[in-house]
Amino acid sequence: MTDDFNKILDGCLDRINGGESIESCLLDYPDLAGQLKPLLQAALQSRKAYAFLPGEEAKTAAERRFRVALEKHRQTNREKQSWLGRIIGKPLTWAALATVAAAIFGIYFGISQTIYPLSPIVPDPDPEGNFVLLISDDVNAISDFESVTVSIAKVGILSNGSGKWIEFEPEIKEVDLTTVQGDESLQIWRGDIPEGEYNKIFIYISDVRGILIETGQLEDIKLPSNRLQISSNFQVAPDEVTSFTYDITVISTGNGQSGTGYILKPQADESGVDTRPGNNQGKGKQD
Amino acid sequence: MKINSGSQPVEEGKSSEDELAGLYREYYDKIARYACVHIGNRADAEDIAGEVFLKAIESLKSYEKRGIPMQAWLFKIAHNLVVDYLRKMSKRKTVDIDNITIRSDDRPETIAEVNIEIERTKKAMQQLTRDQREVLSLRFFGELTSKETASLMGKSDGSVREMQRAAISRLRSLLIED
Repeated sequence: MTDDFNKILDGCLDRINGGESIESCLLDYPDLAGQLKPLLQAALQSRKAYAFLPGEEAKTAAERRFRVALEKHRQTNREKQSWLGRIIGKPLTWAALATVAAAIFGIYFGISQTIYPLSPIVPDPDPEGNFVLLISDDVNAISDFESVTVSIAKVGILSNGSGKWIEFEPEIKEVDLTTVQGDESLQIWRGDIPEGEYNKIFIYISDVRGILIETGQLEDIKLPSNRLQISSNFQVAPDEVTSFTYDITVISTGNGQSGTGYILKPQADESGVDTRPGNNQGKGKQD
Repeated sequence: MKINSGSQPVEEGKSSEDELAGLYREYYDKIARYACVHIGNRADAEDIAGEVFLKAIESLKSYEKRGIPMQAWLFKIAHNLVVDYLRKMSKRKTVDIDNITIRSDDRPETIAEVNIEIERTKKAMQQLTRDQREVLSLRFFGELTSKETASLMGKSDGSVREMQRAAISRLRSLLIED
Protein backbone atom coordinates (compact mmCIF):
# COMPACT_ATOMS: atom_id res chain seq x y z
CA MET A 1 0.00 0.00 0.00
CA THR A 2 2.79 2.39 1.01
CA ASP A 3 4.79 1.39 -2.04
CA ASP A 4 1.72 1.99 -4.21
CA PHE A 5 1.41 5.49 -2.80
CA ASN A 6 5.13 6.06 -3.29
CA LYS A 7 4.79 5.01 -6.93
CA ILE A 8 1.85 7.35 -7.47
CA LEU A 9 3.74 10.20 -5.83
CA ASP A 10 6.77 9.39 -7.97
CA GLY A 11 4.65 9.40 -11.12
CA CYS A 12 3.14 12.76 -10.21
CA LEU A 13 6.61 14.22 -9.64
CA ASP A 14 7.68 12.98 -13.07
CA ARG A 15 4.63 14.67 -14.58
CA ILE A 16 5.37 17.92 -12.75
CA ASN A 17 8.99 17.71 -13.94
CA GLY A 18 7.51 17.42 -17.43
CA GLY A 19 5.53 20.64 -17.00
CA GLU A 20 2.13 19.42 -15.79
CA SER A 21 0.30 21.09 -12.94
CA ILE A 22 -0.41 19.60 -9.52
CA GLU A 23 -4.13 19.81 -10.24
CA SER A 24 -3.91 17.71 -13.36
CA CYS A 25 -2.17 14.97 -11.36
CA LEU A 26 -4.71 15.13 -8.57
CA LEU A 27 -7.56 14.72 -11.04
CA ASP A 28 -6.27 11.21 -11.74
CA TYR A 29 -6.17 10.27 -8.03
CA PRO A 30 -9.17 11.93 -6.34
CA ASP A 31 -9.07 9.49 -3.39
CA LEU A 32 -5.47 10.36 -2.62
CA ALA A 33 -5.69 14.06 -3.38
CA GLY A 34 -5.67 15.00 0.32
CA GLN A 35 -2.37 13.18 0.88
CA LEU A 36 -0.75 14.01 -2.42
CA LYS A 37 -1.48 17.71 -2.64
CA PRO A 38 0.61 18.97 0.32
CA LEU A 39 3.55 16.82 -0.73
CA LEU A 40 3.42 17.97 -4.34
CA GLN A 41 3.10 21.58 -3.22
CA ALA A 42 6.18 21.25 -1.02
CA ALA A 43 8.09 19.63 -3.87
CA LEU A 44 7.07 22.35 -6.30
CA GLN A 45 7.93 25.08 -3.83
CA SER A 46 11.45 23.78 -3.36
CA ARG A 47 11.87 23.40 -7.12
CA LYS A 48 10.77 26.94 -7.82
CA ALA A 49 13.20 28.29 -5.25
CA TYR A 50 16.15 27.03 -7.27
CA ALA A 51 14.73 27.61 -10.74
CA PHE A 52 17.39 30.02 -11.94
CA LEU A 53 18.67 30.17 -15.49
CA PRO A 54 22.46 29.99 -15.75
CA GLY A 55 24.03 33.04 -17.39
CA GLU A 56 24.13 32.70 -21.16
CA GLU A 57 27.61 34.22 -21.42
CA ALA A 58 29.20 31.78 -18.97
CA LYS A 59 27.30 28.92 -20.53
CA THR A 60 28.45 29.77 -24.05
CA ALA A 61 32.07 30.18 -22.93
CA ALA A 62 31.91 26.83 -21.14
CA GLU A 63 30.35 25.23 -24.19
CA ARG A 64 33.15 26.54 -26.39
CA ARG A 65 35.73 25.00 -24.05
CA PHE A 66 33.78 21.76 -24.09
CA ARG A 67 33.56 21.59 -27.90
CA VAL A 68 37.27 22.31 -28.27
CA ALA A 69 38.14 19.62 -25.71
CA LEU A 70 35.82 17.18 -27.48
CA GLU A 71 37.47 17.85 -30.83
CA LYS A 72 40.87 17.32 -29.25
CA HIS A 73 39.67 14.06 -27.75
CA ARG A 74 38.40 12.85 -31.11
CA GLN A 75 41.63 13.86 -32.80
CA THR A 76 43.69 11.96 -30.24
CA ASN A 77 41.55 8.87 -30.74
CA ARG A 78 41.96 9.08 -34.49
CA GLU A 79 45.71 9.45 -34.18
CA LYS A 80 45.90 6.40 -31.92
CA GLN A 81 43.85 4.38 -34.37
CA SER A 82 46.07 5.51 -37.20
CA TRP A 83 49.23 4.34 -35.41
CA LEU A 84 47.62 1.04 -34.53
CA GLY A 85 46.72 0.58 -38.17
CA ARG A 86 50.33 1.10 -39.16
CA ILE A 87 51.61 -1.49 -36.71
CA ILE A 88 49.22 -4.28 -37.61
CA GLY A 89 48.15 -3.18 -41.02
CA LYS A 90 49.38 -3.02 -44.56
CA PRO A 91 52.90 -1.89 -45.56
CA LEU A 92 52.05 1.68 -46.44
CA THR A 93 54.81 4.09 -47.36
CA TRP A 94 55.28 7.24 -45.29
CA ALA A 95 54.04 9.33 -48.17
CA ALA A 96 50.91 7.24 -48.62
CA LEU A 97 50.32 7.24 -44.89
CA ALA A 98 50.71 11.00 -44.71
CA THR A 99 48.28 11.39 -47.61
CA VAL A 100 45.73 9.10 -45.98
CA ALA A 101 46.17 10.81 -42.62
CA ALA A 102 45.75 14.22 -44.23
CA ALA A 103 42.61 13.02 -45.98
CA ILE A 104 41.25 11.55 -42.78
CA PHE A 105 42.02 14.73 -40.88
CA GLY A 106 40.55 16.85 -43.63
CA ILE A 107 37.36 14.83 -43.76
CA TYR A 108 37.26 14.66 -40.01
CA PHE A 109 37.58 18.38 -39.50
CA GLY A 110 35.14 19.07 -42.31
CA ILE A 111 32.54 16.80 -40.79
CA SER A 112 33.17 17.88 -37.24
CA GLN A 113 32.76 21.53 -38.14
CA THR A 114 29.36 20.61 -39.53
CA ILE A 115 28.31 18.39 -36.66
CA TYR A 116 29.68 20.38 -33.77
CA PRO A 117 29.39 24.06 -34.56
CA LEU A 118 30.86 26.30 -31.90
CA SER A 119 27.76 28.45 -31.98
CA PRO A 120 24.08 27.78 -32.73
CA ILE A 121 22.96 27.47 -36.32
CA VAL A 122 20.75 30.50 -36.98
CA PRO A 123 18.75 29.98 -40.17
CA ASP A 124 17.00 32.85 -41.95
CA PRO A 125 13.28 32.72 -42.72
CA ASP A 126 12.52 31.35 -46.18
CA PRO A 127 9.00 31.02 -47.59
CA GLU A 128 10.13 27.92 -49.48
CA GLY A 129 12.05 26.44 -46.53
CA ASN A 130 11.94 22.80 -45.47
CA PHE A 131 10.68 23.45 -41.96
CA VAL A 132 7.50 25.13 -40.79
CA LEU A 133 6.64 25.91 -37.19
CA LEU A 134 3.01 26.44 -36.23
CA ILE A 135 1.37 27.31 -32.94
CA SER A 136 -1.92 25.84 -31.80
CA ASP A 137 -3.93 25.69 -28.59
CA ASP A 138 -5.62 22.64 -27.12
CA VAL A 139 -9.03 23.50 -25.70
CA ASN A 140 -8.74 23.57 -21.91
CA ALA A 141 -9.36 26.79 -19.99
CA ILE A 142 -8.98 29.02 -23.04
CA SER A 143 -12.75 29.52 -23.18
CA ASP A 144 -12.46 31.64 -20.00
CA PHE A 145 -10.48 34.20 -21.96
CA GLU A 146 -11.25 36.96 -24.39
CA SER A 147 -7.62 36.88 -25.50
CA VAL A 148 -4.36 35.25 -24.44
CA THR A 149 -1.42 36.90 -26.15
CA VAL A 150 1.83 34.99 -25.94
CA SER A 151 5.06 36.75 -26.91
CA ILE A 152 7.70 34.40 -28.29
CA ALA A 153 11.28 35.67 -28.12
CA LYS A 154 12.98 32.79 -29.87
CA VAL A 155 12.74 29.12 -30.76
CA GLY A 156 15.40 26.44 -30.23
CA ILE A 157 15.54 23.01 -31.84
CA LEU A 158 17.92 20.34 -30.53
CA SER A 159 19.31 17.21 -32.11
CA ASN A 160 20.71 14.96 -29.39
CA GLY A 161 22.36 12.72 -31.97
CA SER A 162 24.45 15.24 -33.84
CA GLY A 163 24.61 17.98 -31.22
CA LYS A 164 23.04 20.45 -33.64
CA TRP A 165 21.33 23.39 -31.97
CA ILE A 166 19.10 25.50 -34.21
CA GLU A 167 17.96 28.88 -32.97
CA PHE A 168 15.77 31.49 -34.63
CA GLU A 169 13.42 34.34 -33.91
CA PRO A 170 9.90 33.68 -35.18
CA GLU A 171 8.58 35.85 -38.00
CA ILE A 172 5.39 36.26 -35.98
CA LYS A 173 6.34 37.01 -32.40
CA GLU A 174 2.89 37.40 -30.83
CA VAL A 175 0.12 34.83 -30.96
CA ASP A 176 -3.36 35.17 -29.51
CA LEU A 177 -4.10 31.60 -28.40
CA THR A 178 -7.87 32.16 -28.58
CA THR A 179 -7.53 32.37 -32.37
CA VAL A 180 -5.76 29.03 -32.74
CA GLN A 181 -7.98 26.69 -30.74
CA GLY A 182 -8.55 23.05 -31.63
CA ASP A 183 -7.91 22.44 -35.33
CA GLU A 184 -6.71 25.98 -35.92
CA SER A 185 -3.04 26.88 -36.02
CA LEU A 186 -0.83 29.78 -37.03
CA GLN A 187 2.45 29.55 -38.91
CA ILE A 188 5.05 31.62 -37.05
CA TRP A 189 8.18 30.68 -38.99
CA ARG A 190 9.31 28.93 -42.13
CA GLY A 191 12.88 28.41 -43.23
CA ASP A 192 15.57 25.89 -44.04
CA ILE A 193 17.15 23.90 -41.27
CA PRO A 194 19.80 21.17 -41.72
CA GLU A 195 18.46 17.73 -42.55
CA GLY A 196 18.55 15.17 -39.78
CA GLU A 197 16.89 13.82 -36.66
CA TYR A 198 15.71 16.28 -34.03
CA ASN A 199 14.49 15.56 -30.52
CA LYS A 200 13.31 18.66 -28.70
CA ILE A 201 11.76 22.01 -29.49
CA PHE A 202 12.03 24.90 -27.05
CA ILE A 203 9.92 28.03 -27.16
CA TYR A 204 11.19 30.99 -25.16
CA ILE A 205 8.28 33.03 -23.86
CA SER A 206 8.98 36.65 -23.03
CA ASP A 207 5.45 37.61 -21.96
CA VAL A 208 1.91 36.28 -21.64
CA ARG A 209 -1.17 38.47 -21.22
CA GLY A 210 -4.66 37.07 -20.75
CA ILE A 211 -7.92 39.04 -20.55
CA LEU A 212 -10.80 37.24 -18.87
CA ILE A 213 -14.23 37.31 -20.52
CA GLU A 214 -15.97 37.53 -17.15
CA THR A 215 -14.14 40.59 -15.87
CA GLY A 216 -12.60 42.12 -18.97
CA GLN A 217 -9.46 42.49 -16.86
CA LEU A 218 -5.92 41.23 -17.23
CA GLU A 219 -5.54 37.88 -15.47
CA ASP A 220 -2.22 36.53 -14.26
CA ILE A 221 -1.21 33.44 -16.21
CA LYS A 222 1.77 31.73 -14.65
CA LEU A 223 4.64 30.31 -16.64
CA PRO A 224 6.27 27.18 -15.17
CA SER A 225 9.39 28.36 -17.01
CA ASN A 226 10.07 31.01 -19.62
CA ARG A 227 11.35 28.15 -21.75
CA LEU A 228 8.63 25.71 -22.76
CA GLN A 229 9.92 22.39 -24.00
CA ILE A 230 8.44 19.51 -25.94
CA SER A 231 10.33 16.26 -26.50
CA SER A 232 9.36 14.79 -29.84
CA ASN A 233 11.62 12.92 -32.21
CA PHE A 234 11.17 13.98 -35.81
CA GLN A 235 13.14 13.99 -39.01
CA VAL A 236 13.81 16.74 -41.51
CA ALA A 237 14.44 14.90 -44.76
CA PRO A 238 15.51 16.01 -48.25
CA ASP A 239 12.73 17.11 -50.63
CA GLU A 240 10.16 17.25 -47.85
CA VAL A 241 8.57 19.99 -45.83
CA THR A 242 8.28 19.18 -42.15
CA SER A 243 5.55 21.12 -40.36
CA PHE A 244 5.74 21.01 -36.60
CA THR A 245 2.64 22.10 -34.71
CA TYR A 246 3.55 23.25 -31.21
CA ASP A 247 0.56 23.17 -28.94
CA ILE A 248 0.49 25.59 -26.02
CA THR A 249 -2.48 25.46 -23.71
CA VAL A 250 -3.88 27.36 -20.74
CA ILE A 251 -4.95 25.22 -17.80
CA SER A 252 -7.07 26.24 -14.83
CA THR A 253 -5.37 25.43 -11.53
CA GLY A 254 -8.11 26.38 -9.07
CA ASN A 255 -11.44 24.97 -7.94
CA GLY A 256 -13.42 28.13 -8.43
CA GLN A 257 -13.94 28.68 -4.68
CA SER A 258 -10.59 29.69 -3.32
CA GLY A 259 -9.75 31.53 -6.50
CA THR A 260 -8.96 30.22 -9.93
CA GLY A 261 -5.44 30.43 -11.26
CA TYR A 262 -4.12 29.75 -14.73
CA ILE A 263 -0.92 28.27 -16.02
CA LEU A 264 0.55 28.13 -19.51
CA LYS A 265 2.10 24.84 -20.53
CA PRO A 266 3.15 22.92 -23.62
CA GLN A 267 0.82 20.11 -24.64
CA ALA A 268 3.05 17.30 -25.90
CA ASP A 269 0.15 14.98 -26.79
CA GLU A 270 -1.29 17.52 -29.19
CA SER A 271 2.01 18.54 -30.74
CA GLY A 272 3.88 16.84 -33.51
CA VAL A 273 4.94 16.77 -37.12
CA ASP A 274 3.20 16.59 -40.45
CA THR A 275 5.58 15.76 -43.27
CA ARG A 276 4.67 16.44 -46.89
CA PRO A 277 6.65 16.16 -50.10
CA GLY A 278 7.66 19.26 -52.03
CA ASN A 279 7.01 22.80 -50.96
CA ASN A 280 3.66 22.45 -49.22
CA GLN A 281 2.98 24.94 -46.52
CA GLY A 282 1.81 23.79 -43.10
CA LYS A 283 -1.92 24.35 -42.93
CA GLY A 284 -2.64 23.13 -39.46
CA LYS A 285 -3.02 20.04 -37.42
CA GLN A 286 -3.72 16.70 -39.02
CA ASP A 287 -5.64 13.76 -37.60
CA MET B 1 -6.61 14.98 -31.81
CA LYS B 2 -3.36 13.09 -31.85
CA ILE B 3 -0.71 14.04 -34.33
CA ASN B 4 2.07 11.75 -35.45
CA SER B 5 4.83 12.52 -33.02
CA GLY B 6 7.42 10.78 -35.16
CA SER B 7 8.90 9.19 -32.09
CA GLN B 8 11.39 6.83 -33.66
CA PRO B 9 14.49 5.82 -31.76
CA VAL B 10 17.51 7.76 -32.92
CA GLU B 11 20.13 6.24 -30.63
CA GLU B 12 21.38 3.58 -33.07
CA GLY B 13 25.09 3.75 -33.82
CA LYS B 14 25.67 6.85 -31.74
CA SER B 15 29.10 7.11 -30.12
CA SER B 16 29.61 8.17 -26.52
CA GLU B 17 31.11 11.41 -27.82
CA ASP B 18 27.99 12.14 -29.88
CA GLU B 19 25.79 11.32 -26.91
CA LEU B 20 27.75 13.60 -24.62
CA ALA B 21 27.70 16.46 -27.12
CA GLY B 22 23.94 16.09 -27.50
CA LEU B 23 23.37 16.34 -23.76
CA TYR B 24 25.34 19.54 -23.25
CA ARG B 25 22.75 22.27 -23.74
CA GLU B 26 20.01 20.63 -21.74
CA TYR B 27 22.06 19.20 -18.89
CA TYR B 28 24.37 22.13 -18.28
CA ASP B 29 21.44 24.00 -16.73
CA LYS B 30 20.23 21.05 -14.71
CA ILE B 31 23.68 20.26 -13.34
CA ALA B 32 24.20 23.92 -12.42
CA ARG B 33 20.93 23.88 -10.41
CA TYR B 34 21.83 20.56 -8.81
CA ALA B 35 25.22 21.90 -7.75
CA CYS B 36 23.69 25.14 -6.52
CA VAL B 37 21.39 23.23 -4.17
CA HIS B 38 24.44 21.66 -2.53
CA ILE B 39 26.99 24.46 -2.58
CA GLY B 40 24.73 27.51 -2.51
CA ASN B 41 26.81 29.64 -4.84
CA ARG B 42 25.42 30.16 -8.31
CA ALA B 43 28.62 31.25 -10.06
CA ASP B 44 30.59 28.32 -8.62
CA ALA B 45 27.71 26.00 -9.51
CA GLU B 46 27.94 27.12 -13.13
CA ASP B 47 31.71 26.53 -13.08
CA ILE B 48 31.08 23.03 -11.77
CA ALA B 49 28.55 22.39 -14.55
CA GLY B 50 31.16 23.30 -17.15
CA GLU B 51 33.79 21.23 -15.35
CA VAL B 52 31.50 18.18 -15.35
CA PHE B 53 31.52 18.02 -19.14
CA LEU B 54 35.29 18.44 -19.36
CA LYS B 55 35.74 15.65 -16.81
CA ALA B 56 33.28 13.55 -18.78
CA ILE B 57 35.41 13.83 -21.92
CA GLU B 58 38.47 12.71 -19.96
CA SER B 59 36.55 9.76 -18.53
CA LEU B 60 34.61 8.65 -21.61
CA LYS B 61 36.64 5.45 -21.85
CA SER B 62 35.62 4.44 -18.36
CA TYR B 63 31.98 5.17 -19.05
CA GLU B 64 31.55 2.23 -21.45
CA LYS B 65 27.82 1.84 -20.91
CA ARG B 66 28.14 0.67 -17.33
CA GLY B 67 24.43 0.21 -16.95
CA ILE B 68 23.45 3.76 -16.14
CA PRO B 69 22.31 6.38 -18.63
CA MET B 70 24.88 8.99 -19.54
CA GLN B 71 22.87 11.80 -17.93
CA ALA B 72 22.95 9.91 -14.61
CA TRP B 73 26.69 9.41 -15.02
CA LEU B 74 27.09 13.17 -15.49
CA PHE B 75 25.40 13.72 -12.13
CA LYS B 76 27.77 11.20 -10.58
CA ILE B 77 30.66 13.35 -11.81
CA ALA B 78 28.82 16.44 -10.55
CA HIS B 79 28.35 14.80 -7.16
CA ASN B 80 32.10 14.13 -6.91
CA LEU B 81 32.95 17.69 -7.88
CA VAL B 82 30.45 19.02 -5.34
CA VAL B 83 32.02 16.85 -2.63
CA ASP B 84 35.48 18.15 -3.60
CA TYR B 85 34.20 21.71 -3.52
CA LEU B 86 32.57 21.28 -0.11
CA ARG B 87 35.73 19.63 1.21
CA LYS B 88 37.73 22.68 0.15
CA MET B 89 35.12 24.89 1.79
CA SER B 90 34.91 22.68 4.87
CA LYS B 91 35.85 25.47 7.22
CA ARG B 92 32.49 27.00 6.50
CA LYS B 93 29.79 25.52 8.68
CA THR B 94 26.87 26.74 6.64
CA VAL B 95 26.16 27.09 2.99
CA ASP B 96 25.12 30.44 1.69
CA ILE B 97 22.43 30.49 -0.97
CA ASP B 98 21.47 34.11 -0.51
CA ASN B 99 23.18 35.16 -3.69
CA ILE B 100 20.81 33.30 -5.96
CA THR B 101 19.38 35.92 -8.27
CA ILE B 102 15.98 35.82 -9.85
CA ARG B 103 15.46 36.38 -13.54
CA SER B 104 15.24 40.04 -14.36
CA ASP B 105 11.96 39.54 -16.22
CA ASP B 106 10.13 38.62 -13.01
CA ARG B 107 7.88 41.21 -11.40
CA PRO B 108 9.04 42.88 -8.14
CA GLU B 109 6.32 41.25 -6.04
CA THR B 110 7.24 37.87 -7.51
CA ILE B 111 10.90 38.45 -6.69
CA ALA B 112 10.00 39.23 -3.09
CA GLU B 113 7.86 36.10 -2.82
CA VAL B 114 10.50 33.89 -4.36
CA ASN B 115 13.19 35.32 -2.12
CA ILE B 116 11.12 34.41 0.90
CA GLU B 117 10.63 30.94 -0.51
CA ILE B 118 14.35 30.55 -1.11
CA GLU B 119 15.11 31.51 2.47
CA ARG B 120 12.53 29.09 3.87
CA THR B 121 13.61 26.33 1.53
CA LYS B 122 17.26 26.90 2.43
CA LYS B 123 16.53 26.35 6.08
CA ALA B 124 14.37 23.33 5.39
CA MET B 125 16.78 21.68 2.97
CA GLN B 126 19.67 22.06 5.39
CA GLN B 127 17.74 20.05 7.96
CA LEU B 128 17.25 17.07 5.69
CA THR B 129 19.70 14.18 5.77
CA ARG B 130 22.42 14.14 3.14
CA ASP B 131 20.77 11.25 1.27
CA GLN B 132 17.37 12.96 1.37
CA ARG B 133 18.89 16.12 -0.04
CA GLU B 134 20.63 14.11 -2.75
CA VAL B 135 17.40 12.38 -3.80
CA LEU B 136 15.47 15.65 -3.98
CA SER B 137 18.18 17.50 -5.86
CA LEU B 138 18.58 14.71 -8.42
CA ARG B 139 14.81 14.32 -8.87
CA PHE B 140 13.71 17.97 -8.85
CA PHE B 141 16.71 19.91 -10.07
CA GLY B 142 18.48 17.27 -12.14
CA GLU B 143 15.10 15.99 -13.35
CA LEU B 144 16.35 12.41 -13.27
CA THR B 145 13.78 9.64 -12.93
CA SER B 146 13.64 7.70 -9.67
CA LYS B 147 15.14 4.73 -11.50
CA GLU B 148 18.10 6.80 -12.70
CA THR B 149 18.46 8.27 -9.22
CA ALA B 150 18.44 4.77 -7.74
CA SER B 151 21.13 3.50 -10.08
CA LEU B 152 23.24 6.54 -9.36
CA MET B 153 22.94 6.19 -5.60
CA GLY B 154 23.37 2.42 -5.65
CA LYS B 155 19.95 1.82 -4.15
CA SER B 156 16.78 0.04 -5.24
CA ASP B 157 13.98 1.94 -6.99
CA GLY B 158 11.69 1.23 -4.05
CA SER B 159 14.06 2.59 -1.45
CA VAL B 160 14.57 5.77 -3.46
CA ARG B 161 10.80 6.26 -3.75
CA GLU B 162 10.45 5.72 0.00
CA MET B 163 13.32 8.11 0.72
CA GLN B 164 11.73 10.64 -1.63
CA ARG B 165 8.37 10.47 0.13
CA ALA B 166 10.02 10.77 3.55
CA ALA B 167 12.15 13.70 2.37
CA ILE B 168 9.19 15.61 0.94
CA SER B 169 7.09 14.92 4.05
CA ARG B 170 9.92 16.23 6.22
CA LEU B 171 10.39 19.22 3.94
CA ARG B 172 6.67 19.93 4.11
CA SER B 173 6.71 19.78 7.92
CA LEU B 174 9.72 22.06 8.11
CA LEU B 175 8.17 24.59 5.74
CA ILE B 176 4.96 24.64 7.80
CA GLU B 177 6.85 24.98 11.09
CA ASP B 178 8.91 27.90 9.78
